Amino acid sequence: MQTKYHKITFKSYFDFLQLLQSYVGTHEENRIFALKQEPLLNKPKEILLLWLNTHAFRAPKVVDSEKFLSYMGIATNFLGLFALIVGFITGMGLLSYSGQEPINIIYYLFFAMMLPLSSMLFSLFSAMSKGRLFEFLTLLSPLYWIEKLFSFFSFKEQFDLFKKSIADNLQKWIFLNRLQLLSLLFSIGLFIALIFIVVSQDIAFSWSTTLDVDAKSFHDFLVALALPWREFFPSTIPSLELVEISQHYRLGVKLDHSMVEHADKLGAWWRYLAMATLFYAIVLRSLFYLFSLFKLQKVLEQEFLNLDGVTRLLREFRTPFVSTKAPEKEKHLDIKEEQKTHVKELIDTIDDNYHNIVGWNFTSDEILLINDSKKLNASSINSVGGNHTFEEDESVAQEAKERVLLYVKSWEPPTMDFIDFLEELIANKRVEEIEVLLLGTLERGYSYSEKELAIWNRKIEGLGSRKVWVIDAK
Amino acid sequence: MQNSVESKYPKFAVVGHPNKGKSSIVSSLSLDDSIQIGDTPGTTQVKRGFPLKVDGKIIYELFDTPGFQRARRVLAWLNKQEPVSADKRADVVRAFIFEHKEDERFRDEIELLEPIMEGAGIIYVVDASKPYGSEYEVEMEILRWCGQPSMAILNLIGEDDYREQWKSALGHYFRMVRTFNPLTTTFYDHISLLESISQLKEEWTEPIKEAISVLEGLQQQKIEQTLNAIVLNMKKTLSFVYKESIKGQKATPEEEVVLKEKYQKKIINYEKRQRKSIEEIWNHKSIEKVEDSLRLDGVGLFSKESASIFGLSEKELIVTGASAGAMGGLGIDLLFGGSSLFLGSIIGGAVGGIGAKFGFNNLYEVKLLGQKLGKRELTIGPMQNLNFPYILLGRALYHSSMVAKRSHALRESLKLDDKNFYTEQIIDSEMRKKLEKVHVLLRKGDTVSEELWMAYKESILKSFKTLLS
Repeated sequence: MQTKYHKITFKSYFDFLQLLQSYVGTHEENRIFALKQEPLLNKPKEILLLWLNTHAFRAPKVVDSEKFLSYMGIATNFLGLFALIVGFITGMGLLSYSGQEPINIIYYLFFAMMLPLSSMLFSLFSAMSKGRLFEFLTLLSPLYWIEKLFSFFSFKEQFDLFKKSIADNLQKWIFLNRLQLLSLLFSIGLFIALIFIVVSQDIAFSWSTTLDVDAKSFHDFLVALALPWREFFPSTIPSLELVEISQHYRLGVKLDHSMVEHADKLGAWWRYLAMATLFYAIVLRSLFYLFSLFKLQKVLEQEFLNLDGVTRLLREFRTPFVSTKAPEKEKHLDIKEEQKTHVKELIDTIDDNYHNIVGWNFTSDEILLINDSKKLNASSINSVGGNHTFEEDESVAQEAKERVLLYVKSWEPPTMDFIDFLEELIANKRVEEIEVLLLGTLERGYSYSEKELAIWNRKIEGLGSRKVWVIDAK
Repeated sequence: MQNSVESKYPKFAVVGHPNKGKSSIVSSLSLDDSIQIGDTPGTTQVKRGFPLKVDGKIIYELFDTPGFQRARRVLAWLNKQEPVSADKRADVVRAFIFEHKEDERFRDEIELLEPIMEGAGIIYVVDASKPYGSEYEVEMEILRWCGQPSMAILNLIGEDDYREQWKSALGHYFRMVRTFNPLTTTFYDHISLLESISQLKEEWTEPIKEAISVLEGLQQQKIEQTLNAIVLNMKKTLSFVYKESIKGQKATPEEEVVLKEKYQKKIINYEKRQRKSIEEIWNHKSIEKVEDSLRLDGVGLFSKESASIFGLSEKELIVTGASAGAMGGLGIDLLFGGSSLFLGSIIGGAVGGIGAKFGFNNLYEVKLLGQKLGKRELTIGPMQNLNFPYILLGRALYHSSMVAKRSHALRESLKLDDKNFYTEQIIDSEMRKKLEKVHVLLRKGDTVSEELWMAYKESILKSFKTLLS
């Protein structure tokens, strides 16, 4: 069943990409399509989706986008599960308590707060970078290296094929979005581990540092970090007294007496750690994830419009189709090869006397001039064609006899009017031979071209009469 | 009887004696190089309409018609009828068509008179390179009987010029006489002729104005599309990189030669494709060319060998090593509760990175289950020759301008072998400076910003327009 595309998704992007590589239609087809959707002419996304719906069947299925996206989904789910488990294991490791040494709050805060914050900062920096800088930054991300594992998957070739065609900016946001998702799942794993340990074990927390930091300063630092939630959940903030009693000294006994005495209070730290994880690692990351999701959709839409061929399509949608051609095809004329069977040299005939000299479309004066120039003469000299009437022409044709020399303008092709006259001459039984002499313009000494001779010869040949000859006077 | 079938859009019938260039004129005005044009009289046997359509709506229609064959007989028939006043003469012509519709003798005359009697304006074509003859008066007289607005076109097919002679004669029959050579016509001549045609009849002024504006828009579109095709080819060619795996550690001279040939072939094909697309843009689909092929032997292609292991480049491998080292170092830092001031990470990163750098080539020889882990590739491109982009662009501009200016009536080959023209005249040093910014980036394989592309296109457009004018 044909998929319908209602909005720009990865599937529509991939299918459109493949379609455009093999089919963009003609200007005429695209303009007709656009004219039928006139209200959408100023809504490029909508009209392109509609065009995709109409022509999707033409796309060669080099890569099945549905299958590819499902593979991608599986790969992302697999990585997501992996991140969740790694987060959980990390949490279990950080919160493991043997009863000998309390859990280091600073270690935990590093993973629940510092690492997410710096990773978000990295994401922000990556989002703002482009080109080679972004390429370099991606190399620092574990996700980039994990994705190298794709080369071992069966869909590696499909993945590479698509990756080559996907715009860099879109690839960047796909990467950043997946990075946020996986980081979020890692943090959720961490949070689950914290809740699980708190519920299932009695653990004690402490803090320790070589630096000269007293309990008051550390307390102030913690209160400052709790700024986003301290108004709403004041009970999650550890008291100064708790901070004091949970300071751990490496030179003391493993667990000093005061810590043992306040063991029930030391566990109260979990609320603060849970809120820190929830806010810094989960809520903030969720915001980053949502932003990346939003941005990814925007970039997807933008790159959808930037695909090769889209500018042409949109231009053809909007530009009137101008056609100047004939709707029906021309029947091409068959031109027979020239035979020259009716051509003879003037030199053979020059001394002969003609009974008639007839000038087709020449005036009487012009004929006299030609005769003088060619040293030709005849008993009867007539002008035919042009402004003469048919009756006049008929009379010349009927009165002609023996050998007739017919002058024609070489540059004027033989019309049917001339052929009619010639046929009358041929029909005259007293006429033995008709010789057609081509004459160029006076300015060029009556010379004519080979091409003109060929045209006349072809026409005369077509008559199939043995009486008529074309004279080659060159 | 009035013109009952007169259409809403103007029509023009190009008529005349056989072989006077009617089809050439229609070919050039309809921008169609597929029309058969021949020396043999009677090449056009039936009338053929060439409508200028915008989104299917006809703005005007041009008719190519066969030449007069038995003009004297037609005029004789017309004269033989009952004498009629001038306003009824067109009806007599209609009667002639009606009566001789099936008469083979008058097939050509019927074909040429029909569109006229359906309201088409007359464009009478003569060859003004040959002397005037009174036999033409018969044809002109028949056309006068038709009573349609008319103009004459003096077409100079040969070298001689008898225009003055023709003008004196044609002036008696036609309101307007214009010279128009379809073989040398430019876009501006085309527009100018249309402007003249628009003067033939008041009702035709607006549609022809619209047609002119459509054609001007179409010309602009074609220029833009040509520009895009040129820029796309420049982008593809200048940043083109060809890679192929090689067997040994170093490419053999044979391997290098084969790869260079493949690279060159690809670039030559890019140019061929660009030329074809430009010819299609300008509606020259049956064009034959005499041209010099793009030669790349002397431009010194850039080539380098690069190796990769599992698809990672050297850079990637170094960063991997450095990251792995830094992660190890970070573990040590954490073990010391941060008191090591992240020295562990720094040292670890440096060791990992340097190790990867030096280990890169050695890894190539590592064998896993009898297979080499790495593969060696020979890479050719991008083209480093500084002059090459200008040769390529010069050729593209030269070809495009020749195609754009070429009349659709021409059937001879397009000669594109004037090397001096495209290397010296098209791209001056000022333009080079502007273009070089983009070429440098393409040579490096860097991304070119949208602004730079715009400036690049603008420079090329300016040069293209100069060539067109």
